[in-house]
Amino acid sequence: MADSGGLRRAIPSSPQARLAARGGLTVTASAVALLLPLLVSTYAMSVAVTVVTYAILGLGLNVVVGYAGLLDLGYAAFFAIGAYTSSMLQVYVHMSFWETLPAAVVAAAVSGCIIGYPTLRLRSDYLAIVTLGFGEIVRITVTNLSVTGGPNGLYGIPPASVFGTAIVSENGLYYLGLFFLLIAVVFTGLLSRSRLGRAWRTLREDETASEAVGVPATKVKLLAYVMGAMVGALAGMFFSAQFGTIDPTTFTFVTSVTILMVVIVGGMGSIPGMILGALIVVGLPEALRPISNYRLLIFALGLIVLMLVRPQGLWPARRSRRGSFTAPPAAREAPESPAAGRPQPGSLLLAVSGLQHSFGGVKAVDDVSFDLHAGEILSIIGPNGAGKTTVFNCITGMVTPQRGTVSMRGKQSLVKMKPHKVVSLGLARTFQGVRLFEGLDVAENCLVGLAAHQGRLLSRHGLLGRTSAQDRREALRWLAFVGLADQAHMLAAELSYGDRRRLEIARSLTSRPLALLLDEPAAGTNPTEKRKLMDLVRQVRDSGVTVLLIEHDMGVVMGLSDRVIVLDQGAVIAEGPPEHVRSDPHVIDAYLGRDEREATETVGEVPRRNS
Amino acid sequence: MSAFLQYVVNGLTSGAFIALVALGYTMIYGVIRLINFAHGDVLMVGSFIGYELVVTLAARHWPVALVVLLALVGGMAFTGGLGMLIERVAYQPLLNSSRLAILISALGVSLALEQGAQLIFGAGFSAFPSVLPSAGFSFAGAHASYVQLGMFVISVLLMGGLYLFVHKTMAGTAMRALAMDKDAARLMGINVQRTILLTFMLGSVLAGASGVMQGMYYTEINFFMGFLIGLRAFTAAVLGGIGNIPGAMVAGLLIGLIGSFSDGYISSEWSDAIIFAVLIAVLVFKPTGLFGERVAERV
Amino acid sequence: MKIVGSRAPATAIFAAVALTAAACSSASSGSAASSGSSASGGSILIGVPVPLSGEYASAGTDILHGAQLAAKNINASGGVLGRKIQIVGQDDACLASTGSEAAQKLVSQGIAAAAGGYCSTAAFPELEAFHRAGIPYVMDASTNPQLTEQGFAQAFRTIGRDDEQGPVAASFITSFLHAKRVAVGNDNSTYAKGLANATVSALQKDGAQVVFNNALTPGQSDYTSFLTKIGQSKPQVFYYTGYYPEFGLLLKEAKQLGLTFTMMGGDANNDPTLIKTAGSAANGAMMTTAPLAQFLSSAKSYVSAYQAAYGTGPGPYSSYEYDAVGVVAQAIKDARSAKPGSIAQALRSISYNGITGDFHFDTNGDRKPVNYIIITVKNGSFVAYKKFDYSTNQWVSLS
Repeated sequence: MADSGGLRRAIPSSPQARLAARGGLTVTASAVALLLPLLVSTYAMSVAVTVVTYAILGLGLNVVVGYAGLLDLGYAAFFAIGAYTSSMLQVYVHMSFWETLPAAVVAAAVSGCIIGYPTLRLRSDYLAIVTLGFGEIVRITVTNLSVTGGPNGLYGIPPASVFGTAIVSENGLYYLGLFFLLIAVVFTGLLSRSRLGRAWRTLREDETASEAVGVPATKVKLLAYVMGAMVGALAGMFFSAQFGTIDPTTFTFVTSVTILMVVIVGGMGSIPGMILGALIVVGLPEALRPISNYRLLIFALGLIVLMLVRPQGLWPARRSRRGSFTAPPAAREAPESPAAGRPQPGSLLLAVSGLQHSFGGVKAVDDVSFDLHAGEILSIIGPNGAGKTTVFNCITGMVTPQRGTVSMRGKQSLVKMKPHKVVSLGLARTFQGVRLFEGLDVAENCLVGLAAHQGRLLSRHGLLGRTSAQDRREALRWLAFVGLADQAHMLAAELSYGDRRRLEIARSLTSRPLALLLDEPAAGTNPTEKRKLMDLVRQVRDSGVTVLLIEHDMGVVMGLSDRVIVLDQGAVIAEGPPEHVRSDPHVIDAYLGRDEREATETVGEVPRRNS
Repeated sequence: MSAFLQYVVNGLTSGAFIALVALGYTMIYGVIRLINFAHGDVLMVGSFIGYELVVTLAARHWPVALVVLLALVGGMAFTGGLGMLIERVAYQPLLNSSRLAILISALGVSLALEQGAQLIFGAGFSAFPSVLPSAGFSFAGAHASYVQLGMFVISVLLMGGLYLFVHKTMAGTAMRALAMDKDAARLMGINVQRTILLTFMLGSVLAGASGVMQGMYYTEINFFMGFLIGLRAFTAAVLGGIGNIPGAMVAGLLIGLIGSFSDGYISSEWSDAIIFAVLIAVLVFKPTGLFGERVAERV
Repeated sequence: MKIVGSRAPATAIFAAVALTAAACSSASSGSAASSGSSASGGSILIGVPVPLSGEYASAGTDILHGAQLAAKNINASGGVLGRKIQIVGQDDACLASTGSEAAQKLVSQGIAAAAGGYCSTAAFPELEAFHRAGIPYVMDASTNPQLTEQGFAQAFRTIGRDDEQGPVAASFITSFLHAKRVAVGNDNSTYAKGLANATVSALQKDGAQVVFNNALTPGQSDYTSFLTKIGQSKPQVFYYTGYYPEFGLLLKEAKQLGLTFTMMGGDANNDPTLIKTAGSAANGAMMTTAPLAQFLSSAKSYVSAYQAAYGTGPGPYSSYEYDAVGVVAQAIKDARSAKPGSIAQALRSISYNGITGDFHFDTNGDRKPVNYIIITVKNGSFVAYKKFDYSTNQWVSLS
């Protein structure tokens, strides 16, 4: 990505210097913001008020687009709902500005649920049009209803008052706006540091993988709309108090697009970026007023050039590299496992029976049954296309099998259960092609695994909480367990291949599984890495976690497994201890007879939903 | 009954125009996964080029058929070139960046085209000289004009031609391959840049044709016209399953019909809300549109 | 959607500084202009906030042209108080926030008065800003009744309110056209909906049956189903209160559908584009309108001057804007001062003879009287048709 050397040179190199520069910038910017009314004209102040409004809107949309990666083209709807709710309560019920605040925020949050709910299954482009449609429906509705004043809108909305003083001057409005902006900055800043923020980042990177490690994807996505909507409502309230009148033409598709511009121009995911984005998107056309006829043309061309030069936005989000993870690596031992709830070794953990699934005409899995017992290492082997991964997908809720049952510890059926639910019951998995959250650091990748037990919203260990020291210790212990403690601060994308495999295992272990499902962990590793990996798998088992392994590498399978199941063309053709299976004629035929015509595996890989 | 039939005729007419524009959205989305916000504005430019040609040529008393043909061809040629230019300048350098950056670039192009057209052609409305005959016919109490019929036939022919092109020619196969898997297509020797460029050209040519035809049929054009047409066409493209060419055609007609019936039997002020509500309802039950997307999911 | 590469505070700061600098410099240039104009001898600035970009740029441009033509004519006859009038247009984009900024910008540029406006949504914050600066604002097109009911001494308008045009239209429809079944349509804009509501209640009072009352979506080209539905309600007259781009299409498409009811439009429809769009289908269409000079007297000079200057005929609001600038100039003369406060005071007691008729302002700042006449399209041009004669209580011909 384009990034000129000059810019790099401008960035202080040491972390301390960078921190100091950042602090200095914040102080300077805040001082300028606070003293602005002393420095500029009323006209400039009225521009500043609009900049503040759009910065708040940008921060709200940033939650949806920047944090969660969901494209929203109808964000003006929340702006409208906040403005109309507050105004209607003031005009009809004579509540005061501040009294309407909770109602406006709640109304927007509820509508966030309404827009979010039907769209959760949709991919981002469909989401774009559904949100656009929602925005238009809201606008058309307020235009057509008489309670919202129709096309005239509502007027006579009293100004907000603070300590009995009505705020009407540009300067007063500006400070009121700054107050709302501060709320939005603090709120969205806390969100981005919360567990929910991390869950959004993982969703954005790889939805399937994040569900597979226990992130409740639907709930988390819905929350993105809800949180974003709440911030939009603040802007709406502020807007109605500013003008004393609102009407539907303020809340059009064009408004939604303008807010989106703020987010992208500023730099997705970044809080200072939103303020900068608003300054550009609102301020630039104003600064161009002297060339009246050409101002929007220049603005449009500027927008294109800006995207060409800095597609990531002016002030993109930094990935966090916190120092807190450079704790001394603990000994390579498993963190003590909660003894209670652990099944007795040898007891039935997972029972698969009559599993059947086909893709189009191809029977990927055909009547597969097997049991997994606590404390064992069970391997599923078979030629490419034998249906191994599909079996995994059926067990972990990624694919709903067309027939058959999967039950956990003899009671709980896993069929039709969401992947993150399966994880929270104690089945964690890895993927054939390693699926890490590349843009997150190693420790954060590992922390995501904790999501399986942190899905509740408001509890102390819930989604809205910040990562606790205990969480960090836990993640770090698992990193140490797989031997990655020293790399905790690195980006996942920077790891070597073998380390990526280890990280994926550590991430799964962090969710405290009863059983770990490994999909070809040795694929593509060199002999040294392979040996280390085998040690690791044994250690995992010794720590009390049952292992279900898909593997091609006979050396790995034979060296590790207590039992082996052989699949061919979707069906089980042999089952038993490794040495027994090795000599089975069916198995020899399936492997040796096919070696030459191995096709690439096309069926059964997990669909990547957010590509 | 006659009213019902009339609503069908009206719906199909506006639907054919929507479908033609929706094809452009769908094709471009298919190859580079971009919602090309500038597409409606390319149509607007096509309309103005057609308008200038008609005004100039009609003043010289050229035969009507020739004027119409030249305006159509001229508008299509110009927008084809414009589409390629836009792709080269504003999209191609961003193909490997975030998809939102390219979306904003598309919004920039849309705004630039609108503002440019406003500077060149003025903010006001221009009206095509009425070159086309206005004669019509009635059947079962419904009215239609010959021009209406002709426009409908041309739209369907263009759509059919596009379908054949995409499915029967090498270039079309390359486009489909690209839509399914860019990397594999490149490895198979497909010139990705050129195919993308070709797709933009084709989509823009259709938009140009649609722009000139709409201008002639409805007479009134202005720099802002692309916005609303684009919105409906984009809706149709998604309703049909974005990336799916026959889907866009059917969904375009369907949106025309829904709009028409809603105007007729429900309330015109709610029509747009109803269209979006139908779209959302369809997507809730069929998350990839009525006919499913043809774009293979990356595995 | 990965973000690689580091952030660059340097660019950010640069951009912020550049923008702030731009804002400050334009602000300071604004105040320079303000001190310049308050000195006698310089031009008197009249601010015109109108939409010059986006969907409504067309109307805004017409209005700005009307203002410029008025200034040109005033200056050609010697200006006012020996000074020239200068029009300063600012884009309000039909948005509340942009409107507020446009107005503040005009205030900072030192205007003596404002004359303009198009959308009510922008007019509210504009009026608010002018009110705070004590600058009179003569609106040419914003019809929302609330605008002049806030008790602002700075609010005036040259256009009549919806509640006055509606009864005139209803009276013509019922007592001259003798229609019993009437359809009314609008485009869900403030103005059109207001006029539609006023007309519907007047029609009902006059004993007619309103068989259809609904809105279309402006900007769409195809209104055939809207019209088919109107046809189904079997009206004798269809009164459309929206704007000319849609009314032109409605006329054309109604003819194409073989619909035969009488088509009539409100005063936003006397634009030459209408005739170009509708072609021969425009013939016979009628409109309610203020008694514009072009339809009444031999003073056709306004239309021909407009045509010569801008290449098209005047839009529906160009004339109201022409009079808005004219009445401000008159007020400056009457007050013998270009101070905003004195102009506002002079406007209160003015009596003006404009191209939209003679008028003064009532205590709210609303135009009085508002006369409406009926015009029609004949052989491809607008001609005066009927007016109400209060002495005989009858509709009489205008030649």
